Amino acid sequence: MVRSYKVRGEKRKKKEENYDKEEIEESIVIEKRAKTEEHTAADTEAAERVVDLLSGIPVVAADQSTNKPGVIFIIERASLEIAKVGKSYQLLNSDEHSNFLKKNGRNPSDYRPDIAHQAMLSILDSRVNKAGRLKALYVRTEKGVLFEVKPHVRIPRTFKRFAGIMLQLLQKLSITAVGKREKLLRVIKNPVTQYLPIDCQKIGFSHSSEKLVDIQDYVNGINNDMNLVFVVGAMAHGKIDKDYVEDYLSISDYPLSAAYCISMITNSVERKWKIL
Amino acid sequence: MAKTTKASKNDSGKKKKKKKSSKSGPKAKDMKLKAPNENPFESIWSRRKFDILGKKRKGEQRRIGEARSSAIQKRKKTLLKEYEQSAKSSMFVDKRIGENDEGLGEFDKAIMRSQRERQVKLKKNKFNLSDDDEEDFEIGASLGRDDFDEEVPFDEDEEDYGRDDKSAILGQLNSHGSQNAQAAPVEAEENRKKSKKEVMEEIIQKSKFFKAQKAKDREENDELTEQLDKDFTSLVNSKALLSLTQPDKINALKALVNANISVGNVKKDEVADAPRKGSIGKEKPDTYEMLVSEMALDIRARPSNRTKTPEEIAQEEKERLELLEQERQKRMTAADDGSDEDDNASDDNSKLVKDRRAISGDDLGDDLEEVPRNKLGWIGEILRREESELESEDAASNGDSESEEDDGEDEGSDEYDEEQGKTETIKDWEQSDDDIIDTEVEDDDEESDNDAKKVLKIKDHKKVSVKGKEVGTSQTKKEKTTVKHQQSELPYTIEAPKTLEEFTSLIDNCSDDQVIEAIRRIRTFNAITVAAENKKKMQVFYGVLLQYFAVLSNKKPLNFKILNLLVKPLMEMSAATPYFAAICARQRLQRTRTQFCEDLKNTGKSSWPSLKTICLLRLWSMIYPCSDFRHCVMTPAILLMCEYLMRCPIICGRDIATASFLCSLLLSVIKQSQKFCPEAIVFIQTLLMAALDKQEQSKNLQLNNLMEIKELGPLLCIRSSNVDMDSLDFLELMDLPEDSQYFDSDNYRASMLVTVLETLQGFVNVYEELISFPEIFMPISKLLCKLAGENHIPDALREKIKDVSQLIDMKAQEHHMLRQPLKMRKKKLVPIRMVNPKFEENYVKGRDYDPDRERAEMKKLKKRIKREAIGVASELRKDKDFLFRGNWERGRARREEDEISFWLLLENPTFKSLPSFGKIRCRMLEVQRIERAIA
Repeated sequence: MVRSYKVRGEKRKKKEENYDKEEIEESIVIEKRAKTEEHTAADTEAAERVVDLLSGIPVVAADQSTNKPGVIFIIERASLEIAKVGKSYQLLNSDEHSNFLKKNGRNPSDYRPDIAHQAMLSILDSRVNKAGRLKALYVRTEKGVLFEVKPHVRIPRTFKRFAGIMLQLLQKLSITAVGKREKLLRVIKNPVTQYLPIDCQKIGFSHSSEKLVDIQDYVNGINNDMNLVFVVGAMAHGKIDKDYVEDYLSISDYPLSAAYCISMITNSVERKWKIL
Repeated sequence: MAKTTKASKNDSGKKKKKKKSSKSGPKAKDMKLKAPNENPFESIWSRRKFDILGKKRKGEQRRIGEARSSAIQKRKKTLLKEYEQSAKSSMFVDKRIGENDEGLGEFDKAIMRSQRERQVKLKKNKFNLSDDDEEDFEIGASLGRDDFDEEVPFDEDEEDYGRDDKSAILGQLNSHGSQNAQAAPVEAEENRKKSKKEVMEEIIQKSKFFKAQKAKDREENDELTEQLDKDFTSLVNSKALLSLTQPDKINALKALVNANISVGNVKKDEVADAPRKGSIGKEKPDTYEMLVSEMALDIRARPSNRTKTPEEIAQEEKERLELLEQERQKRMTAADDGSDEDDNASDDNSKLVKDRRAISGDDLGDDLEEVPRNKLGWIGEILRREESELESEDAASNGDSESEEDDGEDEGSDEYDEEQGKTETIKDWEQSDDDIIDTEVEDDDEESDNDAKKVLKIKDHKKVSVKGKEVGTSQTKKEKTTVKHQQSELPYTIEAPKTLEEFTSLIDNCSDDQVIEAIRRIRTFNAITVAAENKKKMQVFYGVLLQYFAVLSNKKPLNFKILNLLVKPLMEMSAATPYFAAICARQRLQRTRTQFCEDLKNTGKSSWPSLKTICLLRLWSMIYPCSDFRHCVMTPAILLMCEYLMRCPIICGRDIATASFLCSLLLSVIKQSQKFCPEAIVFIQTLLMAALDKQEQSKNLQLNNLMEIKELGPLLCIRSSNVDMDSLDFLELMDLPEDSQYFDSDNYRASMLVTVLETLQGFVNVYEELISFPEIFMPISKLLCKLAGENHIPDALREKIKDVSQLIDMKAQEHHMLRQPLKMRKKKLVPIRMVNPKFEENYVKGRDYDPDRERAEMKKLKKRIKREAIGVASELRKDKDFLFRGNWERGRARREEDEISFWLLLENPTFKSLPSFGKIRCRMLEVQRIERAIA
């Protein structure tokens, strides 16, 4: 018995090492990036010398995506829950499992994973993400499971496949990339605040909020080198908790869907940062 | 002793079985018993982290104490017993009925015993032979039974099992039996002899069966015949049979069919089809047979004409022509009824023409005007003949010179001809035909590209036909002296002429239409599809025809109509012999180019292309696709045109006309491919500059660097205020002498400007897609603005100039709008690389999703082995613990025993039969003793 425990401990250690390795790899990548930045800096200098010769031609900076403030999205109260229906595990949704849910004394209208799906798609499809300014995306389920989604994940566009990926994520606790060891989706520990950068403004959205603003004006008013954290709910009814949210906004007179609200936010951010 | 060992062996076998059954037995019972009175202190729970709805967890609630005690109980029953047995050489086996079963009470055991007794009795009775031996036998049986029934299980479970087995076997047997149930009696019946009654019955059955069969067959037959009748009537009514048989027979057939139908109907039901009943009338007995026999003698079928291959069509055409020729020859030799024959012939001819029109699919619609003109009457025809005669005379002279040179296509003679033409006196053509070009431009703008050419041709033809009439009339005025003229009739079969001479002699006295007809006949008679050697002939003929075209186009006065008519056969022929045609064209282009270079060297001469060259260029632009990126004929042709525009100095007003025509020709060529042709644009610019006053023009010297044109005087500058603009006729202009007064008139200048502006507009429209459009056309626009500011420009022209400049400005503005500022180091923004996540459909935790099946299977097995090993190890460990604890309990006694035996050994060395079990311990003890002794 004792020995087996020992073995287990060793294993765990190993795992931790692995995890570190991954991070080391990442850091190496970052170093490389830094190097390339140096290169580009040298290039730009050279270019500026040339530019002096060619007056009147505007210079377009090559790559500005580094060291710029980004956005972080947190999707709260996503109704992603798996259950054993019959013999197989499935992601619960109101269309397919209403009978099952009723049998188990749940309200089927609360089980709407499609909202989370759409919200994730609209975040990952946005120009902000394409420009590399989306720093992270966190999703917290109704049950309190928090997972991180890397910005460069290509989330499946069909709901069925999305359900498959969520099913695997919630059972296996991580999803790797195809052909790589990199973890693209990963269940992490609560609370989400420990992962947020220090200099960030956390903005929550709810139709119930008293503070009704024009999102464009609001976003334009925020300091330029501040990271932005947007907290949006992906539930059918109700509102998000405002425990860690600094500002609690309503951006429309009408109740909006999560996906549309997110597209409004991303649009305003894109306009603020002039991402075309 | 032996018996006991045997028994023990058997026993061990039995034990195994028992162990199995007992293993599950008590456990199940435990669960059942302990479920109601649950002791919360005995159970332990584990907390759920990720609660999954609908998932039932096993072992969530564990009762540790209970599980332990049950395990100990189990081991006591099995392992301990085995252990205790291990040191013993024999054992006691209790074989009393029901004694091993704990669940049975004393009463049940008694019942079982009595049952067994009875069974034994029953068995015995079967083989009982006599009552006397009963006692003995019984004893013997009872004695032997122990041995004999050894295998028979006493346990209830076993018995049950046996019973089940038996019943299963029985069931199987039954099922088997039921399967064979039918088969068996049949076999039996077959084997045994049949009784008479059965035989009779069989016979009766058979006869009944056959009767039914017959009835059924008859019914089927009836149906088939009915079907046949129906088919036949439909056949008769359809056209297929009608075409195959003679009409009277068809009638008979129809009558017959009607009769049949009506008869059939009557048979079926007399109510239906009342109107048809009337047609029954006569009903012969053998009509059908008669018809059949008659039809058998009939012609079977007349196959329709096969669709013909093009070769065959050509062959037929040729034969037809030959036939016609024979007839004509006959008529010529007979020659008694000259006028009538001629009339007939002409009628024939016109018919032929009509026939031809009917045949050709490429009807252009201009026939209506030409066909009646054929019947104009004698005078007109004769007059036209004369004209052609004149031409042919010219041609003949040319031919003479050429025949000496003996070359397929003689450029020199043409040139000679050209010069001759120049020196010839000029006839004034009143008729204006200049807007050919303009219409071309407009048409091309309007129509889609494909249709453009056709429409153009039609227009040309119409114009020509109109003009032809006028020419005819004018010539009648001029040449009153009608020479006596023999009507030469065209032969139907014409060998392809080898030289131009031959050809000209052939069409010596022919009208334009006849020339065309002759060409057509030559082509049909020597069609390439008819014979292989015709290809050669046709190639030669093509060269001749092209030469003829060139010669005609250089003639003064120009017969433009026949030129136009020649275009069509030339196009068709060059499609038939594309390679040869291309070679011809290239050769001619090369010669023209060398000639042009020569001309440039002697500065005095005008190096602008002759009308012949222009016509040929136009012809090629019609024959070959202009839009090809690279074409073996069109590319050099375009280059040549551009070179003309660039290098030829403009000396007189006529040069301007030629040049502007070349410009418009270039435009029409370029239109589809939108190739940029800077020479034309620059030339137009210079022309426009020529319209400015002298002092302003001299400023713009930068442009002149591009051209070889040194100085261009204000040739197009309009001086007087009252000017009227006409549309110009290019051919007409070409006919004017170089130093004609007209070229200096303001009218000419204004008209020229209009044409140039229109060409410019065409270019603007063609080049509007070019990115450098503003750079190309903005200077011209400025120039136009200046030009519009000139003093004597007529209002209409001013309007036009403004329109064009506005068009240019608008388009340039569009381009400017689209232009982006130049950016340095501009990179295309690359979106972040997206990565696909890897996941499985219907993921189940714990399943191996290795794509390599073998490996996954292996892994699974290994995992299982590991798990089993762990299980076994823990099991063994527990066994050991259990045994150890058991030893501990009995330990003392055992040790004492050992000690005693040891001492016995020491006391008495002869006592050697020490159990092997204690050997090691003995050694240990001895060691201990020795140690003690040393101490």
